[in-house]
Order: sequence, then structure tokens, then C-alpha cells
Amino acid sequence: MRLKKYGLIALLLVVTMVLAAGCGGEKKEAASGESKAPTKPITIIAPNGAGSGWDLTARSVAQVLTEKKFVTVPMPVENRAGGGGVVALSHMVENLKGNDQNLIVYSPPLLLVNLNGQTKYSYKDLTPIARLFSDYELFGVYKDSKFHSLDEVMDALKKDPKSVKIGGASAPGSMDHLAFMMAASKKGVNIKEVPYISFQSGGELTAALLGGSIDVISTSVGDTLGQLEAGNVRALAVTSPERLKDPRVANVPTLKEVGIDETFEVWRGIFGPPNMPEGTKKYLTEAIEKMAKSDEWLAICKKYSWVPTYQPGDQFGKYLDDQNKLMGDLLRGMNLIK
Amino acid sequence: MDTSTLTMFLHGLQVAVQPENLLAVAIGAIVGTAIGVLPGVGPVSAVALLVPLSFGLSPTTALIMMAGVYYGAMYGGSTTSILLNAPGESASVVTCIDGHKLALKGRGGSALGVAAIGSFIAGTLGVIVLMLLAPPLSRMAIAFQPPEYFALMILALVAATTMGEGKLVKALISMSIGLCIGTVGQDIQTGTIRYTFGVSELLDGIDFLVAALGLFALSEVIWETVEPNALVTRINVKSPYPTLQDLKESMGAMLRGSGIGIFFGLLPGAGLITSPFVSYSVEKQLSKHPEEFGQGALKGVAGPESANNGAASAGFVPLLTLGLPGSSTMALLLGIFMMWGVQPGPLLISQNPEMFWGLVASMYVGNVMLLILNLPMVPLFAKIIDIPKPLLLPLIFVFSFIGVFAVNNSTLDLWLVLGFGVLGFFMRIYDFPAGPLVMSIVLGPLMERAMRQALTMSNGDPLIFVERPVAVGVLVVAVLFLIIPLLRRGNKDNSEIMA
Repeated sequence: MRLKKYGLIALLLVVTMVLAAGCGGEKKEAASGESKAPTKPITIIAPNGAGSGWDLTARSVAQVLTEKKFVTVPMPVENRAGGGGVVALSHMVENLKGNDQNLIVYSPPLLLVNLNGQTKYSYKDLTPIARLFSDYELFGVYKDSKFHSLDEVMDALKKDPKSVKIGGASAPGSMDHLAFMMAASKKGVNIKEVPYISFQSGGELTAALLGGSIDVISTSVGDTLGQLEAGNVRALAVTSPERLKDPRVANVPTLKEVGIDETFEVWRGIFGPPNMPEGTKKYLTEAIEKMAKSDEWLAICKKYSWVPTYQPGDQFGKYLDDQNKLMGDLLRGMNLIK
Repeated sequence: MDTSTLTMFLHGLQVAVQPENLLAVAIGAIVGTAIGVLPGVGPVSAVALLVPLSFGLSPTTALIMMAGVYYGAMYGGSTTSILLNAPGESASVVTCIDGHKLALKGRGGSALGVAAIGSFIAGTLGVIVLMLLAPPLSRMAIAFQPPEYFALMILALVAATTMGEGKLVKALISMSIGLCIGTVGQDIQTGTIRYTFGVSELLDGIDFLVAALGLFALSEVIWETVEPNALVTRINVKSPYPTLQDLKESMGAMLRGSGIGIFFGLLPGAGLITSPFVSYSVEKQLSKHPEEFGQGALKGVAGPESANNGAASAGFVPLLTLGLPGSSTMALLLGIFMMWGVQPGPLLISQNPEMFWGLVASMYVGNVMLLILNLPMVPLFAKIIDIPKPLLLPLIFVFSFIGVFAVNNSTLDLWLVLGFGVLGFFMRIYDFPAGPLVMSIVLGPLMERAMRQALTMSNGDPLIFVERPVAVGVLVVAVLFLIIPLLRRGNKDNSEIMA
């Protein structure tokens, strides 16, 4: 009799376990709409090495969230480098589906690796939580360059697309390349012919400009500040919608001011894994919104010349759809993808 | 300039000897040495781990500590290369070749001591150069553009063949295999994916450390395991310290190595990797007994070890004056500068004199500290080689795996390191040198990148490599490196016939 009872309990247990496993985490929390505070540490993945832009973003977010107690569990940062973010993306999609203990930081390469065919996964597989801030690109020339305005550069390119060498600190088909070609195509330059030389870092790029290997640089504003201040580099334009506030670049015209009605934004955002539980998503969205409005966060943004452009997950998702289309059209226009 | 440099330096020294900064140097140096001693755990992860700690410090103190970790690891890096044949980073691969042979002969103490003293000399000379000549020398970094880098990589590859211990053809075969392995991963100029077979972990190629630990450390373990007598043979540790004779013999190599290291260190990205090879090559060609190289020549340790430390110190010149990091650790240091709102560049010295001179002065202090820290450890470390083999071999095995896993957290790398271990074992049986293979994995992608950047610059015209004086000069040196050993061998054969 007793044995039978235990047997029944055991059977029940097994059935529940099988059922639970069958549901597979996806519907673990039925409480929809309720924000659910985490009880275990939440790891923020930086898809690149320590010291990279993604790493700095992840660490800054973790710092403000935990110090201001917006999130009460520890938030370690994990570096998962490789393939321009592809390794971390595969890890998120393949191993962390439905998980509530992981976040990941990304920027436009998340869209580009998919468009360029380097991975089958895309931003659509992740759960957007928020856009955090944006960075912009700057076009510049050496101080003794014959070019004094972006118009002159574009005119020279229109006459002979191979006559001006463009350099950037990211791979061909990535941000630095796209930003310049977007502007050039608006001016009617045959962008398929324009040579682009990619360097490994902003430092290498400026050395190449100072050494005469390239004529024009297209890179993030932050990379150029030191040489701008020293007067070695002359800025021609920035890709932001309005002039930047940093005094070192406040006098640089926007693309719109030089007659190109475009902006190019290097956004940074934070995402959850596919099918992130609703409760956790809501909790983290609220916490990050509080963070984005805090003085501590704004101070960090000011320090690194980041422009705060917070947007919550649902709006951010729509923004990404638009960006993805824009980038795809540009890459096709440059003959980089079909 | 002169008097003001001195005043500024004295002011920097005041900054550096403040108690918290002295403590920072000490922590940095100790952590760095410890990290350097553990095979595989490199300075990048150490600096990254210490970053959160530095939030509470003043920027100068934080930088002093991080810089200490960086050059401390350079010091410590030679230890595992010499004792366990396990290089922790590309800069200490060359040290393995003669250093480990010396350790097996019971002269590990001499090798370690010479490495520490050479590092001290080169490090100190490097700081002096940084202090006196940083702004003018930064122009040299600019003189080296993609075509010159391509020529430089050719020179380094040629120098790497001298590790072949006289077997030029086998060294070239080994190098070609390395160059092939170097093409794995995403193509840098077009983003095309090459030989990854759909494995996303391979997108960035095969890490140099995986190959180095497999080909050197693991193959050694396998070799010793199958060698019937190896397990019971004990090594008679002769001298715990280098003798006066050792120092006299290697002083020239140390100074030449320092010079070579400092020169190449000014070229960001190339210095740390190329300078030890060039130094090794030079020493071998200057030596009256080139046949000793590869069998345990003290100069083959003294030169390259001085070179990599000279390059590490001189690497601060392009970092501070141009914001050009020469290695991933340096890139991290650059990140820390930015974190404090300091923009490395031509104006750094005039805008943040306290930071610059404090850092420079702390590097003097740090170098002395490292010497004091390292020399007493030499006899202790030298004993490691005397640990009974059945205990030591599994330890090397485990540490190699930890080191490899720590780089990318990738289990694929563990299989790869095992594969390289087996490959290294067979290469040993058939007498192929592993050094050229490991180095061409590092140099190949750098060379390819420089070549393609240069060709884009010239719209595809290959004449760009011979039209520029600096590039031609470097190529000529490379040709000389290739020809001189052949000529010398010819002479020797002649004189033997004559005699």
C-alpha cells in the first residue's frame, strides 16, 4: 500500500517533469505584464574583448544599474569575442533561448553581419530592451590637404572616383565605409569605384592620414579628437542631425549644412536572448529607463562624448527595422551584396 | 628643453614616489610577473580584471598600476618559456628555443638571470628614449605606412627561418604551413569567410597561443611521455644564478637587443612580434659559433628577451603621442586613458604633464622593482625543472589547457591545442622546426593586411613596394639576412676543405 502510494507520487513527479521540459522554458512564467525582479545574477555579454567599445558600454551600464540599485542582483560582464560579434550572437540564439539571466550589448554591426551574410542570425532573433546612446561619424583630411570642404572632395570623386583614397577604422561594408559612401552617393558619386582602405584602429587610421597613405578619413568622432585638437586633422563634416556639443567639434558642420540631407548614427543598444520571459523583460526595461535618466549615466555619456538617445524596446525594434532596410539598400548600391 | 625635461622628470619622480603610486607600481609589477609566469594567462586578461579596481583610484595611479602589469608580464613571460617550453605570448616564442635547451642542460638559472637583467637594461633604456625623444620619434611611426609594414613582415619571416637550426628547407616548409593556417577566418579587406567550415569560433582565425602551446608545450609533454628514459632522468641544476662569465658573454647581445627592440617598438603593431626574431637572427649571424644556436646559446636568450622589453617600453611612444596601440594590452591602456577623459595624442604631454611624467618616472621605479623581485626568485623557479616528470608533465598539460581556454572561452580551442600537440610531436620526429610555423600564424595575416592596404593605395600597382626608399631599405636587409648564412656556410666549407 505504502509502496503503491510512493509509486503514484513518483509517477506524478515524472509526468510533471516531462510536461515542464516539454514546455521548454518558453512559457515558464505565465504572469504576463507583471515585472519580475531577478533573484540570480544577470550577466551582460560584451561581444568583443576587454577595452572595446562594446565592453565599455556593458561595464558602464552594469556600473550604474548596480551602484544606483536599479537592479539589486550582481551584474558581471562577460567578454565573448569573435567574428565581429557573430560568436556571441550565435551563443545567444543557440544556447540562451528563453533565458532570464543574460543581456548583450550591440551596435550597427549586429545588422551588418547578417546583411553581409556572415551569419544566418539577425537582430530579429534577439529581444530589444533599449537603445542607450549614439555616436556619430566624422569626415576629415590632413591639415595640409588641398581639400577645404566636403564639396571639393565630392567634386574630385565625381571627376575620377579613384582619385581620392578613403580610409576607415572598420571593415569594408561596415560603419565607416557606409557612412562616407552614403554621403557620396547622395552627391552622385559612382561609389562602386571609390577605393576604401580599412585599418584596425582609429590610431592606425590617423597615422595613415598623417603619413599620406590616404586622403580622407571616415571614422567615429571620438577617434579623431586628439589630432583635431592638435591641429593635424581638419574636420569637414559630422553625420549627426545637429551640431555636436563637445567644444572640440562644435564648429564642425553637419552633413545637412553642407548640402547632404542625411544622418548616420552609430547606435548602441542592449538586448535580451530570444523569447526572454516577459516579466524579466519588463523589469529590465524599467530599470534601464531609470538608469538612462539618472545623473550618473548622463555624466558617463558626457565623459565619453556619447549622445544619449534612449529609446525603449518596442520603439527601438521599429527603429532597427528602418535601419536594417537603409543599410541593406546602401550595401546593394555599393555592389557589396546582391 | 633639457633643463625643463629634467625639472619635469623630477616632478614626475615626486608623483611616482607618493605612497599610493609606489604601492600601485608594486601591485602592478607583482600581478604582472605572476601572470607572466602562468602559461597562457596573458597581460590582456590581467589588465581587464584590474580595470574595475582602478575606478576608485586617481587616473595617474590607475595608469601607473596598469603599465606595471604590462611590463611586469613581459618580464615574467620568459620564465615559462625557459622552464616549460610554454610561451605565454608571441614576444617570448623565440626565448623557448635556446632558453629551454639551457634549462634542460641544468643552466636554467643562467638563462632566467640573463633574461631578467637583459629585460631591466632594455626596459630602462626604453624609458630614457621615451622621456627624451618621444615627440620627434613619433614621426618615425608615421614614416612606416602599409608598404613599409609589408617589407617589415617579410624581414620578420626571413628572420624566423633562422630558428630552423640550419635546416632552411624544412624551416620554409614549416613556415608555409603556418601561412596557410593564418588564412583561416574572415578576410580583413572584403569580409569573405575562408576555411571556417561554418564554425563561428573560427571566424577570427586560429589564435596564435593555441598553436604555440600545442606545438611547444604539449608536444614536449607527449615527447617526454614516450621517451623511455625521460621520466626517470633528473636534471642536475648547475648554477642558480648566471655567472660573471655568463653576463660578460651576453652583455653585447643585451645591448644590441635593447637597441633593436627600442627601434622596432616605435613601430606600433610590429615591434613586439618582430624585434625578438630580428635580434635572434642578428646574434646568430654575429656569433663565432652559430651552430650553438638552437642547442642552448645564452645569447639566443639575452638578445630576444632584451628586445621584447625594449619594444614594450618604446611602444609607449606611439601610444602616448599618436594614440596608436601596439598590442591588445596597449589598446586596453588606451581605453583606460579615454575612460579618464584623457586623449592620447600630440598634446598629451603638454596638457597632462603630471600623468605623462608620473608614468615615465614610475616606469624607472617599476623596472628596479621588477629586478629586485625577480632575481631572488630565479633559484626558486629554476628548481621547477627538477620536479619529478610524472608530476610536472600533467601540470604543464593542465596549465596549457587553462591558458588556451582563458583566451576565448572556446572549447574548440581545446581540441585545436591537442591537435597542434600531436602535429608538434610528429614535426619533432621528422626534425621540422616549430618556431617558423607559430610565427607565420602571427605574421601571415599582418603581412596580408599590409599588402592589400598598399595595393589599394596604388590602385593595384605592385611597384609601390620598390618605389619607396624605406620599404626598399627594409627589403634589402631581409635579403642580406637570407644570403649571409649561405655565404658563411660556403666559406666554412671552403676553409674546412683547405685545412
